[in-house]
Amino acid sequence: MEELEKLLRWAENNLQAEYIEIRYEDVSRFHAQLKDGIFKTFTTQQSHGYGIRVLAQGAWGFSTTTKDDDVKDAILRAYKMARVSSTGRKEKVKLADIEINEDVVRSKMQVKPEDVSIEEKVKRMKNLERLLKKGDEVASTEIRYEDASGEKLLVTSEGTRIRWELGYIWQYLWVTGKNEKGLAAARDEIGSVDYGWEFFEKETEELIAERILKKLRAQLNGVYPKRGEFPVVASPIIVGIIAHEALGHLAEADLTINSPFHNLIGKQIAPEYVSMSDRLVEGGFGNDLYDDEGTRVRDVQIIKRGILQEIMLNREYAARYNMEPNGHARAENYSVPPIIRMRNTVFERGDHTLEELLEGIKFGYYLVDYRGGQAELNSSFQVGVQEGYIIRNGEIAESIKDTSISGIAIDALRQISAVGKDFDIEMGRCGKGQMAYVSSGGPHMRFDRGIVVGGQR
Amino acid sequence: MNLIKFGEKYFDEMEIAIYRRKEIRAEVELNQISLSLARDRTVAIIRGIKDHRLGIAVVESDQEDKLQDSIILAHKMAKMNTPDERWMSLPGKQSYATPKPVEDELKSVEPDFFVKLLIDASKEIKNQDPRAMVAGGEAGSTLSESEIMNSHGLEVSQESGGTYFYLYLVGRIDGGVTPGIFDMDVGRGLELNVDRVVTSLLDKLKKAYTVVPAKNGEFPVIFEPFALAELLEFTIVPAISGERKVKGTSYLGDKLGQKVISEKITIVDDPWHPLNVEQLIADDEGVATRQTEIFSRGTFRSYLWDSYWGNVSGEGSTGNAYRNLKTGGLGIAPHNLVILSGSQNVEDILSSVKEGYLVSLLQGAHSSNPDTGDFSVVANPAFKIEDGEIVGSTVFMMSGNALSILNRVEAISKEQRMVYAMGKGVYPHILFQDVKIASVAK
Repeated sequence: MEELEKLLRWAENNLQAEYIEIRYEDVSRFHAQLKDGIFKTFTTQQSHGYGIRVLAQGAWGFSTTTKDDDVKDAILRAYKMARVSSTGRKEKVKLADIEINEDVVRSKMQVKPEDVSIEEKVKRMKNLERLLKKGDEVASTEIRYEDASGEKLLVTSEGTRIRWELGYIWQYLWVTGKNEKGLAAARDEIGSVDYGWEFFEKETEELIAERILKKLRAQLNGVYPKRGEFPVVASPIIVGIIAHEALGHLAEADLTINSPFHNLIGKQIAPEYVSMSDRLVEGGFGNDLYDDEGTRVRDVQIIKRGILQEIMLNREYAARYNMEPNGHARAENYSVPPIIRMRNTVFERGDHTLEELLEGIKFGYYLVDYRGGQAELNSSFQVGVQEGYIIRNGEIAESIKDTSISGIAIDALRQISAVGKDFDIEMGRCGKGQMAYVSSGGPHMRFDRGIVVGGQR
Repeated sequence: MNLIKFGEKYFDEMEIAIYRRKEIRAEVELNQISLSLARDRTVAIIRGIKDHRLGIAVVESDQEDKLQDSIILAHKMAKMNTPDERWMSLPGKQSYATPKPVEDELKSVEPDFFVKLLIDASKEIKNQDPRAMVAGGEAGSTLSESEIMNSHGLEVSQESGGTYFYLYLVGRIDGGVTPGIFDMDVGRGLELNVDRVVTSLLDKLKKAYTVVPAKNGEFPVIFEPFALAELLEFTIVPAISGERKVKGTSYLGDKLGQKVISEKITIVDDPWHPLNVEQLIADDEGVATRQTEIFSRGTFRSYLWDSYWGNVSGEGSTGNAYRNLKTGGLGIAPHNLVILSGSQNVEDILSSVKEGYLVSLLQGAHSSNPDTGDFSVVANPAFKIEDGEIVGSTVFMMSGNALSILNRVEAISKEQRMVYAMGKGVYPHILFQDVKIASVAK
């Protein structure tokens, strides 16, 4: 920290910059990929570097270096890039004020992954693989496990001095199955920044194997759905991905500005029993105390009782929208600049049971889990479905295979007819040029219209 | 110090791969430059095998002392791993094609050049269409250098580099926006065709202001190169991996030599295609790259292999190993997938459609099922065609299966484009018949 402060003072005295920010990371990762009994990767990774962002002449420049003795030159490169950027700007970038913090963010993990032997990690993966292979229909398995430990420092010319103890655990599964109907596959993804190895006390190998095999069997034995617009009851996981893809991205201020949400802030966009937030959640994969600009993270009520209320901001867009920054500037690592990202995007609870949501649906779909999704600025969204069932006369019937759902988010929101009283979240990753760990979730919800099922029939 | 010799003290076989990459980039947002960046990155990967046990270490440095430490770390990893009885060996010495040198101008280009490209293009767009907004875009250059060496005497170094320029536009309509319109150009030097990109974007945006509903049913659909690349990346590319062939999880299974798609289609992995920017002579474990015919006039001719799965199967590597620089792990991927061009102009193909659709980009291609080739994606932006003319933009879902759609090829364009995003390769326009559609846009 002291060395970085010295470099900052040098830069402040020698450069005509409005703002300088240095992020330093030193992280060790363990990564193993177990594919059908063989570790295809078994890796230790050492990552060590600096990301420097400079605001000069009202424009941003960014540079990186992995060398400790190159940081001064990297600051100069970022300064040069900022001056180049300024030639292509009409408006100067302004930053909204934040509280300047000096803090140490301690890991909440009880058992840090670095304190668990690699033998123990291997044993767990092999046991999980053994349980997966017990499924008669399983043709191939892939388990990817990764954990990280280290530190991140943020020092800025405004006086922010934050040190994080970094750490996460992450696991991704892909299982391919085969039966007389053909091939099918299912995925499962979990992770945590707040729980360490104790995470697996809850997420046991048995639980994970049972969960993914259920999805796989639903696919293997499923029928192709009908294509078209039907009533849909969505599980917390599907509700979460709709919150994330269909609405969350439009509420990221850098995307809001070019989306239909821009003109809808303060307006009723959903029934009044619908609320949605990006907020800290127990076990949320996007939890943190500060963002990568040093802003304290706070809950953002995106939709409150049907009204589009708040959007997710960094300091630049907070100034542009004349709002307060809310801690959503995130960078995947030191090598990329922070951009506006979600953390844990959730619909809030209502008061219906699942049975009530299913009631009265003659024909529709109960959608449980997803495989990928994508949103566009015109609020069109797509979510791949990896577990779903037909609803017939209010009852959950046979499973469906290989489909996806789509809709125009601002139309679909108005078609939410009931909100469940349960709540769950799912952990995953979001790509927006950079990867971010996120969660999404909510209660079960019913859409009477607005969701198009892309079936093959 | 000879690091391979140092590593031989610890391993039966060892490989060192070093990647150095320099990048300059400018980004545009809301019609002005949002950021310029200069990024230098060096990553070294040690892959060692001791008693059939694999150990990998990744470090962001090429300094000798750090590489020595990483060899020791990789050895520790190998000791903790379990033996892989199928392991045979790292590749041996290779003969390589003559590498194409990187254009000199790439080494001296300044960021101002890319800022100017973006700003001039944004101004032109705003002048031509005041309702248009450049929602995002980038222009920049990359210079990459890699060295691969192993304990069997394999040693290869190569340079690659290029430039790129892309913009993403929306137009404002009645409190909302049009579908996002994307286009790009890539090159080996500084000669980027910005005018073509701008003209194409404005032309599409003009048509996107009129939003029309799609009809449910089965219709002829023209896939533009970007949409085609996305579809193949997530449905065909996984199925041609030799690893899946060995494991029995490719839907192409034992269909080598059989006609599986339309005779109109030939697909080649061609690293040296004249439109390709990164013309590599070696893959990521140093095996010489080559042209591999995958589908010839509809007949499935070859899987792609790295050396591990090539050894297991007895087929040998086709030089298609790709490395994940974060984990150091290797996978199998094409270098540059090329669909050979057809005989008709794009304009003639469009004119031949009485009622159908043109698809520019897909949403959700990545959620396709790689194990079956089934897809269910959103066409956005897409355009409705009536009597050979585009009458407006629309959004719809398309569902089907990769082999099935590739069996319904009506026409392939003469023109091809280098696609460098969402699936890399050289692609024409293709008109497919009887594509199942469900309308999303009202």
